Amino acid sequence: MTGELPLSDVKIVDLMWLIAGPAATRVLADYGATVVRIESTRHLDGARTIGPHHDDDPDPEGSGVFGNMNAGKLGLTLDISQPAGREVVLDLVRWADVVTEAFSPKAMRAWSLDYESLRQVKPEIIMLSTCLMGQTGPLAQFAGFGNLAAAVSGFFSLTGWPDRPPAGPFSAYTDYVAPRFTAAAILAALEYRDRTGEGQYIDQSQTESALHFLGPAVLDYTVNRRVQPAVGNRDPNMAPHGVYPAAGEDRWIAIAISTPMQWASLCAVLQQPELLEDERFATVAARRAHHEALDGMIAAWTQKHTAEEAEQRLQAHDIPASAVLGMYDLATEPQLAHRQHFVELDDPRQETTTVEGSRFKLSRTPAQIDRVAPTLGRDNREVLETILGYSAERIAALAAQGILQ
Amino acid sequence: MLSPYRVLDLTTERGLLCGQILGDLGADVIQIEPPGGSRARRLGPFFQDDPHLDSSLYWWAYNRNKRSLTLDVRSDAGLAILHRLVESAHFFIESDTPGTLADYGLGYDDLALINPALVYVSISPFGQDGPKAAYADSDLIVLAASGPLMITGDDDRPPLRVSVPQAYLHASAEAAVAALIAHYERQRSGRGQHVDVSAQQAAAMATQSGILAAALNAEEFQRLSGGARVGRFKVQLVWPALDGYVAILYLFGPAFGPFTHRLMAWIYEEGGCDEATRDKNWLTLLSDLFTGQEPMEEYDRLKLVVDAFVRTKTKAELLEQAMARRLLVAPVTTIDEVVESDQLAARDYWRTLGHTELGQAFRYPGAFAKFSRTPIRYRRRPPTVGEHNHEIYVDELGISPEQLADLRRQGVV
Repeated sequence: MTGELPLSDVKIVDLMWLIAGPAATRVLADYGATVVRIESTRHLDGARTIGPHHDDDPDPEGSGVFGNMNAGKLGLTLDISQPAGREVVLDLVRWADVVTEAFSPKAMRAWSLDYESLRQVKPEIIMLSTCLMGQTGPLAQFAGFGNLAAAVSGFFSLTGWPDRPPAGPFSAYTDYVAPRFTAAAILAALEYRDRTGEGQYIDQSQTESALHFLGPAVLDYTVNRRVQPAVGNRDPNMAPHGVYPAAGEDRWIAIAISTPMQWASLCAVLQQPELLEDERFATVAARRAHHEALDGMIAAWTQKHTAEEAEQRLQAHDIPASAVLGMYDLATEPQLAHRQHFVELDDPRQETTTVEGSRFKLSRTPAQIDRVAPTLGRDNREVLETILGYSAERIAALAAQGILQ
Repeated sequence: MLSPYRVLDLTTERGLLCGQILGDLGADVIQIEPPGGSRARRLGPFFQDDPHLDSSLYWWAYNRNKRSLTLDVRSDAGLAILHRLVESAHFFIESDTPGTLADYGLGYDDLALINPALVYVSISPFGQDGPKAAYADSDLIVLAASGPLMITGDDDRPPLRVSVPQAYLHASAEAAVAALIAHYERQRSGRGQHVDVSAQQAAAMATQSGILAAALNAEEFQRLSGGARVGRFKVQLVWPALDGYVAILYLFGPAFGPFTHRLMAWIYEEGGCDEATRDKNWLTLLSDLFTGQEPMEEYDRLKLVVDAFVRTKTKAELLEQAMARRLLVAPVTTIDEVVESDQLAARDYWRTLGHTELGQAFRYPGAFAKFSRTPIRYRRRPPTVGEHNHEIYVDELGISPEQLADLRRQGVV
């Protein structure tokens, strides 16, 4: 390390769960923030039930999703439905810069842990609430997971084949979009507090954040009144553009052609120079109009090659192409390996586990990912004794009252 | 929040969202375009389908709260001007093929000499180095190389992407977070650094940690139309309704059983199933099916019951009952329905920006989050090509109008 981590003085009380929220605080932990994840053993974090699990054993302590979202955080088990549990939360708020939560909107109010209550305890606190639809409005209490949010926010209607019901993006799509906005919001609020001394409350609707990933389609409607449909793998600015079968079962190669040079190179690789003279394929627009004829010719070539061979031959001619990599393929993919995308961590339960690394590199202060996600209650002592300075007697009393679970 | 800071945004269509997020948060973002206008302006859809440089809705979607400056950074005079701008800038964002800007004297090392506190953000398909750093790319290619493509779509068809390109949006949003982390560190150290964002790594987020399957010795995810495979079951997520489709998490067990029970109670109330069906043990049904205590045909029968019922209901009815009864049911909402949604209206989500150049105003997606003290403001509609040349060159950099005219003649501006 060449210096202190960027966020080494940032302290976060994290009451979020599942994927969207914890993914944001994971990034902050990678860069030095101290994040105390509060969990309940009575209402396990749903992420612990989501695979991939180690060896496909559904043990809540072996979830790769939970491990990936929570590496580098401290884990405290606490029953915040009890007043004594909430006292512990308030002590953590006094210590913290930021409080994050992802309950359904009425929960924090019911526990008197809403922003108005917390700022009485610490006026400059920054509090962020994130949920599917936001804290207000007729759907505020909408129950569900990111895949339902992806349906409600338009991603499903824009993912599919024209002749089929919508396929939708994989699983809880808004959970992969929203965390970037969550983290950016927290960082901007921190920088503002550092300059002005003022905290604030942030209400994030994951749907409202995610809609920025559909910006052009939204404007096509608000400006042109056009409702964009799902168009399979077609693209308005490129052709041919699609996923073609390669040799082997369920193996595919993606190809995307936009420039005349790329088109000429593709004709050369296919050994069909006559296509270059064919009026039907002269421009992107013409190729889009005759896409099916093209697809047949391209597939005839791709089927004779493995996806990796096809990728290499096409990329050697500067043609945008990639084998469509499955989950196992990615484990040995050379570029991700070069970027150290996978980080192996000591794990007392599994010997070792693997998490994803930072998705970006900071040249002078790189991420530090060296501690496996907490098992239930792993850091109770460290949090209560070291961070809050509680006496051994007080901790024992809390445990005896059943608060630390 | 970020109003004291200036961003020089040289990104192409690959990176525009990063600067927009910083602009939404208050930064002064100057989008620097080549004299003919950014390549992103050539991407549709277009206002009234007119492919004019100032009519690209792709451009509109990712350039509000920015100013536009045209500058040929490949010319000596252009490079000198850019170096002057760098002296007082806080962020520099680019999305060219790795190494391209260094060839023009605009690499991180070049600019750090001029301004050591600069946070220099590079957004690229595969990162600045590595065996694929020079790969020819596009949205589809990055998605193929990062995992989401393989697991999206129907299992009897090729892998599928979202029809609106996503890969560089993942990278650009990630880049905004990275830039702010580097900025936070700079407030303490006074030093900038190079931020290197890989779209491949950013888009891998959308595998929901499935990318770890091999390392964890777990089964790999497959594409199942938004559904999932649970043991031998293919769990269907999308169901046909009277006027479109709905997504239903029709699952059993301790977490999901209560939701399913409430759905079946509704179906019973309307005569869609018998009492015995309503009162099945939804908490144990999954294991009962696995152990054979319930025959597989029973699962197929239950799906038919739900299918027949849902087909008689509109999406609005299903959503209303989902709220009233706490069901895991959500309409598959089309874009017009999203824009007209009561929820977004109640939260005052949409923002109207006046396009004075067209004499019209349009609704834009609103603030990505609601800040109580420093609400996100939409201060500027997306700029026309070079709209702020005079303001920046003459008023701020002190270049005389005559010099500016010369630069124009030389094609620098």
